[in-house]
Amino acid sequence: MKKYKALNIYLVLVFIILYAPIFYLIYYSFNSGGTMHGYGHFTLKWYKEVVQDTRLITIVLNTLVIALLSSAISTMLGVVGALAIRTVRRAPVKNTLLTLNNVLIVSPDVIIGASFLILYTIIGIKLGFTSVLLSHIAFSVPIVVLMVLPKLQEMSPTLIDAARDLGARRWDVLSKVILPFIKPGIFAGFFMALTYSLDDFAVTFFVTGNGFSTLSVEIYSLARQGISLTINALSALLFLFTVILVVGYYFIVQYYRKPRRQGAGE
Amino acid sequence: MTEQTIIRFDQVTKQYDHDQAVLNNVSFEIERGKFYTLLGPSGCGKTTILRLIAGFTEPSQGKIYFNGQIINTVPANKRQVNTVFQDYALFPHLNVFENVAFGLRIKKMKQSQITEKVKEALRFVNLEGYDHRTISEMSGGQKQRVAIARAIVNEPEVILLDEPLSALDLKLRTEMQYELRDLQKRLGITFIFVTHDQEEALAMSDEIFVINKGSIQQSGSPIDIYDEPINRFVADFIGESNIIPGTMRQDFLVNFADKDFECVDKGFDANEAVEVVIRPEDLEITEPSLGKLQVRVDSQLFRGVHFEICCFDEAGNEWLVHSTKRAQVGETIGLNFSPEAIHVMRFGETEEEFDKRLEAYDG
Ligand SMILES: Nc1ncnc2c1ncn2[C@@H]1O[C@H](COP(=O)(O)OP(=O)(O)OP(=O)(O)O)[C@@H](O)[C@H]1O
Ligand SMILES: [Mg+2]
Repeated sequence: MKKYKALNIYLVLVFIILYAPIFYLIYYSFNSGGTMHGYGHFTLKWYKEVVQDTRLITIVLNTLVIALLSSAISTMLGVVGALAIRTVRRAPVKNTLLTLNNVLIVSPDVIIGASFLILYTIIGIKLGFTSVLLSHIAFSVPIVVLMVLPKLQEMSPTLIDAARDLGARRWDVLSKVILPFIKPGIFAGFFMALTYSLDDFAVTFFVTGNGFSTLSVEIYSLARQGISLTINALSALLFLFTVILVVGYYFIVQYYRKPRRQGAGE
Repeated sequence: MTEQTIIRFDQVTKQYDHDQAVLNNVSFEIERGKFYTLLGPSGCGKTTILRLIAGFTEPSQGKIYFNGQIINTVPANKRQVNTVFQDYALFPHLNVFENVAFGLRIKKMKQSQITEKVKEALRFVNLEGYDHRTISEMSGGQKQRVAIARAIVNEPEVILLDEPLSALDLKLRTEMQYELRDLQKRLGITFIFVTHDQEEALAMSDEIFVINKGSIQQSGSPIDIYDEPINRFVADFIGESNIIPGTMRQDFLVNFADKDFECVDKGFDANEAVEVVIRPEDLEITEPSLGKLQVRVDSQLFRGVHFEICCFDEAGNEWLVHSTKRAQVGETIGLNFSPEAIHVMRFGETEEEFDKRLEAYDG
């Protein structure tokens, strides 16, 4: 019992330490003082500044468009990829494909970013919206594959036989049986891709250019220029948005898990 | 091949990759409107036969005919066959109604017609009013009936059932055996039913195919197969039996346990070595002096309906007796049996040779 308590305290401590800087940052975003020491009084000045800065608003929109587009496209590509990997019968080939997929997920962003930069330079794609979008799609696809594949493997192959037995053509099998079955995995993949795209810094930093920028890159350059509490306000908003996404994701997963729990108890 | 034949396997061999053949030169005919059972131990190739008929896999060699036409490469969605899978394979994201309606929706049938047909199919399997249940809310027996409804609603010519009862408890299982058999009679379509339970096969079928290691050992009505098993495997697999080595003296006279007995079998060479089958329930316990055989009781088990008594004769053969009378362990008893109870099997005889031998003597 005592040990259990100690563990709890430890966990709480860890979380406090992890979240403290974020809350410290948010706390000072309401500071009228203009610096991160010496609290003046409560103000929404910095938020107002953020909202009134059209350049910043454009960047926020850029970021959102890139995130939504890249996650939508990579979800489609990822689902197709997962379907293709599933059809591979031979275990060595399958494992190689999976490993290649996972290497992309764990390899450092810096390396991915740098290699994309080299690639775009070689094939002559202008740095900017397209290059950022392509890069985001590229690093999101493996994530979607990773989220969708377990759902696919969970599906009994007799379900497909049953559909074909009842007269379904390939397209019917895909649209009426496989896709509905793996829908939770598709949603999970989409949301993961969305969050990865939203908070990506390293890859974007490498491949962006010609005045195109996303939020994380912008915050970085703002922070380098000098201390302004607009950065705090912007970060606070970003943090809030991420929290909303995570909570949304949690509820979607919960929603889909429920009927399955009932099913498992038979 | 007759008018009645709906499915015919002609020398079908199935091989996965470069492994040993799963099915070996299998030939048989399925007639319209009958209840067939494929019976055999696990891994003998029963499911493979169903998958070949349904079109989920293609034969490596040989031909499969459906209504007189070769269908080797016809895809599953174009065949007049529906399957009830071993794990039911109901669609978890659809409710009961939509599961049953799946095939009709693919055919783009009108909604009013779909509703009518689905309701009728559900009524047929006693699941009226379950339309809106999700699959996870159904019990094992109910799921199975949904799977059957999903198959019959398409009005196929043949329904394939792959061990649909194996997940059910004994009571429900017996109930479902009656229901299935009854359903088949009402629908009047061909059922091909797979099981590894011999009692189930005997109780339900018009015709049984006994399969072992990828080839059909024997086919025939339950009574034929039970009374005249063609070899040791069939005799052992279908019911319990005493299988005793013997020699055929001449027609209608067989020697075993060092004695000659009158029998009804014929067509063997003189003094040919044979195997003799006598079912435990055909052995009657008598006074030692009145019995055709004298045996010593070795052990006895109470089985509910009968006692299972294990005895040894003087030649050392083991005899299993099913009797409603109790015996005393250690005592010597007599065993009586009629000439009809004796069934003589030739070593290594195939089904064709067996039939030929009978024909040659009967005809
Ligand atoms: N896709 C496959 N690839 C390779 N071998 C297979 C494949 N499917 C089945 N087999 C083999 O074929 C043999 C027969 O399998 P099948 O499923 O027909 O057996 P079964 O009689 O239905 O057995 P059970 O009663 O256990 O269901 C088995 O030895 C199995 O290992
Ligand atoms: Mg099987």
